[in-house]
Order: sequence, then structure tokens, then C-alpha cells
Amino acid sequence: MTRIGEFFKHALLLLGAFIVIVPFYQMVSYSLKSPAEIERGIGGFMGSQALMIDERCVGSNTPDRVDVEAARTDYPSLSDSDILGALLEKVREDCKVRPAIFNYRSAFKEAPLMRYLLNGLIVTGSIFLLQVIVALPAAYALSKLKFWGRETVFGLVLFCLLIPVHAIALPLYIGLAKLGLINTYAALIIPWTISVFGIFLMRQFFMTVPDELIDAARMDGMGELNIVWRVMLPTAVPALMAFAIFSVVAHWNDYFWPRMVVTGDRSLFTPPLGLREFKADIDGSLYGPMMATATVIVTPLIVAFLLAQKKFIEGITLSGMK
Amino acid sequence: MAEVSIKGLHKAFGDVQILKGIELNIADGEFVSLVGPSGCGKSTLLRIIAGLEEESEGSISINNEPVSGIRASDRNLSMVFQSYALYPHLSVAENIAVPLQMRNLNGWQRLPLVGRFMSGAKARTQEITAAVMEAAQTLEIEALLKRKPGELSGGQRQRVALGRALVRKPAAFLLDEPLSNLDAKLRVHTRTEIAELHRKLGATFIYVTHDQVEAMTMSDRIAVMMGGEILQCAPPQIVYSDPNDLRVAEFIGSPKINVLPVEAGDEGRLSLMGRSLPLLAGSLRGPLQMALRPEMLTLSMVDPMLKGRVVHLEHLGSELFAQIVIEDLGVRLVIRADPAKYEALKPDLHVGMNFDPNAALFFDANGKRIRQVVPAKQLAEAV
Repeated sequence: MTRIGEFFKHALLLLGAFIVIVPFYQMVSYSLKSPAEIERGIGGFMGSQALMIDERCVGSNTPDRVDVEAARTDYPSLSDSDILGALLEKVREDCKVRPAIFNYRSAFKEAPLMRYLLNGLIVTGSIFLLQVIVALPAAYALSKLKFWGRETVFGLVLFCLLIPVHAIALPLYIGLAKLGLINTYAALIIPWTISVFGIFLMRQFFMTVPDELIDAARMDGMGELNIVWRVMLPTAVPALMAFAIFSVVAHWNDYFWPRMVVTGDRSLFTPPLGLREFKADIDGSLYGPMMATATVIVTPLIVAFLLAQKKFIEGITLSGMK
Repeated sequence: MAEVSIKGLHKAFGDVQILKGIELNIADGEFVSLVGPSGCGKSTLLRIIAGLEEESEGSISINNEPVSGIRASDRNLSMVFQSYALYPHLSVAENIAVPLQMRNLNGWQRLPLVGRFMSGAKARTQEITAAVMEAAQTLEIEALLKRKPGELSGGQRQRVALGRALVRKPAAFLLDEPLSNLDAKLRVHTRTEIAELHRKLGATFIYVTHDQVEAMTMSDRIAVMMGGEILQCAPPQIVYSDPNDLRVAEFIGSPKINVLPVEAGDEGRLSLMGRSLPLLAGSLRGPLQMALRPEMLTLSMVDPMLKGRVVHLEHLGSELFAQIVIEDLGVRLVIRADPAKYEALKPDLHVGMNFDPNAALFFDANGKRIRQVVPAKQLAEAV
């Protein structure tokens, strides 16, 4: 009986894992294959990696009149049109490339992907740092200090958790526009500096910190702000890790808000905006480079998670304290 | 070094009166225990002295300076907590250094990484390291300095907490049930160590405990607290042998003191279960309470004043306690007997007991001590 139970449990978990992994598999697979293989749905995971011709490369290197004139000495016996044909053949030969390399090279060349990744780092890093600077003292006050109206303030924090971001996006946008901050890093960062979720999460964690520890810190001569940074922050590292996952993942992957406040200035694009470079246009869809971009965007998060996996899980279960 | 003086101290949480007019003067270098059952307000009193809690009324002076409104961090007191309250992320050495860093370094010098390059930081840091070493040597924990609190046993954490308290040579030490998280054996050992530490440092110690044995063994004076009041504050032997209040007599001493109802009749003559005692209670009349320590009672078959039935025996090796029920009164007494009599005593055995009436303590119906009971000139006849 229990063996059958175990079997179903594992079958269910495997099914769940399968559903989660399939889109990632598809993304990585497409990022490696040639357009023809993608369209026909052949080639398995890697594709055949047969050499393909990069049409854009050919397009930008098409020989013109000057090239033909210059090449006349190399092909003394041929007519102009034949020279053109030969040159074109040569260009096509030079533009042959493996599909995987083509996809990833286009991702970095067509879109300044490194710039986008750097922007992503600056924006998510600043947001997280500012959120911590705001949330820790607020959470400390809400959990450990007695003051008039504390419960009301905490009630407001809970209430704010219920407000969807999209509902207040327009007023926020107008406010930032009036301040002249559209198309700046500030527009990407400022609206997220106060995280009620962060305040709530850290408050719940601080509730578990013994009062005696804070009393001891006061006896040792610490003021309240010193207590926040020298005692509460270090003991809250596991909880901060959990919050970091939520915050960084949410803002690294955010498409909605950057799309609103960054209009046109490509040097401010965050990684998800980079995907727009390959949206379907006259050339047809460039799924390969698009999926290569997507792979590059999610890789830092996955690598960071794998590196700090133990700490993260510790943080989510909030068991690192005792 | 400090005298602590508390005058008319009241504390209320909402409508609940926790402290009701505490008066206490603690001399420089004295070891005073605040002892009482849980909820008696002893910890609150300590926290008010520390400045962690604010008094509702009354005043506290340290070295004749009123400290009301002065923050805990500025009172120059050290506190040891029941849970030790060590900083879990800092090593033992860093834990002990914290009070000195907060007082002797300025904000810039305390900054992580860059702080050590600020002017004057190096000399101060060396002083702190030396002070930490000295404290560690006093408590014999040099070997632990690099460890984190999580890697220490309860007794070791206790020493680190003491080290953090004594490193900056405070005006007074406040200890809030520091031994209650230790196992019984270690508690006895650490008790002696704290008493020795007090003698070595000569500092003022205020020690909160619910364990009367701790209070008895360590203190110069014991303040017995109950219901938000200090019932008696006196040296341990006085509190034991000459309590002011029946509640004090019952709280101090283990096993608990025995209480028997007595009656003051004509001319103040006292009688127990209708049998006259050779004592006069002056002008008092009516029911009183007589209290006898277990060691005041002796087993006796010759004309016993009390007769009862053995219900339980506790053999502790060096002493034997017998619980004896006086069926006529429905009272259970504990008497200390010679362990050699263990074989002779059996449950359900009927025994007689005698005591020296002059040694007995008398209290009125409200538990206040009656000191006017005097021996009668001649033995009264049996009524």
C-alpha cells in the first residue's frame, strides 16, 4: 500500500518537474538550432549543427560596383555579372556559420546584450539595497518598539500588500513624468524602494528574535539604529536571502514597468526588453537569436541560485536562526 | 562601584499594578538577591533599575544621582540574561568586545573594514583586545575566544555572558536568573563561581532568582518579593530564622515550613489542638498560626504533643524527610529525621512528635509575624 502511495507521489512530482522543465528545454533547444530546423520541428535537442548561411551577414556584405571594379584583375576573363556572381558566392561562403554560434552571436551583436545585463544588475541591485535600507528599520520598529498606533501602521502595511502594482502604474508614471524622470535609472528604481512585502517578511522574522538580545544590545551601549544594523541585520541574513530571491527575480524579470518608463533609450534597456529586438518583423521571426537572448537572461539567476542554493533554502524555511 | 537607592517605586502595565511602592537601599559592593515566585515583579524591578523599563512613579538613584529618564546604555550597568543573549553572529571575543567598542570607539572607527584605518583606532582596538583577554582569563575561557556562541555549551555561554558584563567594569552588575538554564550540577558549581567573582571584583551585584537556594547561598542580603512588594530584606540567616511574614517563612527553606493552627485563649494562653502550650500571646485572642521548620520537630513516643501517621519518606542520603499527616487537623507535616531511622519508619506507621515551643514562630491570621509571644512562667496543666 505504502509502495503504491510512494509511486504515485513520485509520479506526481515527476510530472510537475516535467511541466516546469519543458519550456526551458525548448528555450535552450531553439537557441541552438537553425531557423529551418526550428520551423520544421526537427533535429532533436541540438539540431544537426550543419553550416548555415547568415542572411544578414550576406545582406550587409553584398558586393557593389566598386567591389566588382576592384575584383576585375582577379577574374580577367569574366564579365561583370559573372564577377558579381563569383564575389557573391565568396561572400556566401564567408558567411557560413554553425547555427548555435549564429544565434548567440546575433543575440550579443544585434542587441547590446551586455549593456542590458549590466543595466539589470544596476537596477535590481539598487532596488534590493534600497528596499533593505527602508524595510529593516521599519520592520524593527513594527516588531520590537512600542509606540502609539503601531498596530494601525502594521494594518496599513498588510493592506498595501493587497494593492496590485498595475493598478497604480499610471499615477506613478504621471508622477515620474512630471518630475522629468522618464528614461532614467531613477524611474526604474524609485517606485520599488519601499517594499511592503519586505517590511512584512522582515517583521515576521524579527518577531522571532528574542527580546533579551535587544535588551543586551541596549545594555552594551547601542542605540536603536545601531541595533538594527549591528544586531538585527546579521541575525536576519537567512530571511534577507529569502527576500533577495523574491526581489531580485521579480525585478530582473520585470517587463511591464521598464517597458513603461524606458521609451526608446536603448542604453537603459533591462534584459527582458532586449527580447524585443527579435520580435517578428519583415525578416520573419528570429526564434533562434531570441531564445539565445532569453537563455542569456535567465542564466545569471540560475547560476546564482545554484551557487547559493543551500543558503536560499535555509532562508525560505527561516530555520537558520535557532 | 555604586550604591543603588530605590524610593517609592511603582510600576503599572495598564491597570495591572506590578510594583507597589518598592523601597530598597543597596550598599556599594553588596550582593543583593531579589527572590520571589514568578510574577512577583522581581524581573520588572531589575529591568527598571537597568533602564530597560520605565517606572510609573518613584525614583532610582545610582551613586546619589537620579537616573530617571537616562537610557539603559548610559547608566553604566551590566546585565546578564537568562538566555545569555549572546550575539549569534559574533565570535566569543567579539561578543565580549562589543560593550567596549560601543563606548570607546566613535562611529567612524566602528565601521566595518575601513574603521581600523581611522585615526586613533589602532591604539583603542589594542586596548580592547587586552581587556577582552583579561576578562577571558578571569573566567578561564581563553580557549573559546574564536568560537561562535552556537558551538558552546550552556555553561560556556554563561561564562561568555559574564565576560561581556564584566569587561567594561560597570557600576553594578544586574543578573536576571542567570543559572536557570543550566543543569543542576553546573548550577551549583556556577553559583560558587559567581559568589567568588563578586568577592574578587568587589562590585555591587543585584541578582534576580526564583530559587531560594541560590539566594541563600550567594547573597549578603535577600529581598523577598511577593505581589509587587518587598516583604523582607535581610541577611539570609535572618530571613530564614526570623521572618517577618508567613509568606517569607513559607518561601524560604526547603522543605517548606510547617504551619499549624493555634488558639489564643483567656489571658493570651496558647493552645494547640486543645492542648495548652507554655506560651502567652499577650493581649492577642483568637486563632493564630504557628510555624515550625522541619528540623524543629523530633520523633518522640513519650508524651508527644502531636500524633500522626507517616504517609511518605524521602531519603536524601545525609538526611531523611518524613511526611506525616495529622488526621485530626487534616494537616500534612514534614519533619527532618535521622536517616538511621529509615528502617524503623514505614508508611502508615503511627508516630508521635515533639517540639520546643519557645523556638516556634507565630503569625496572625493575615500572616504577619507576632513577636509578643513569651514563655509562660509555669507549665500549664492539661485542660
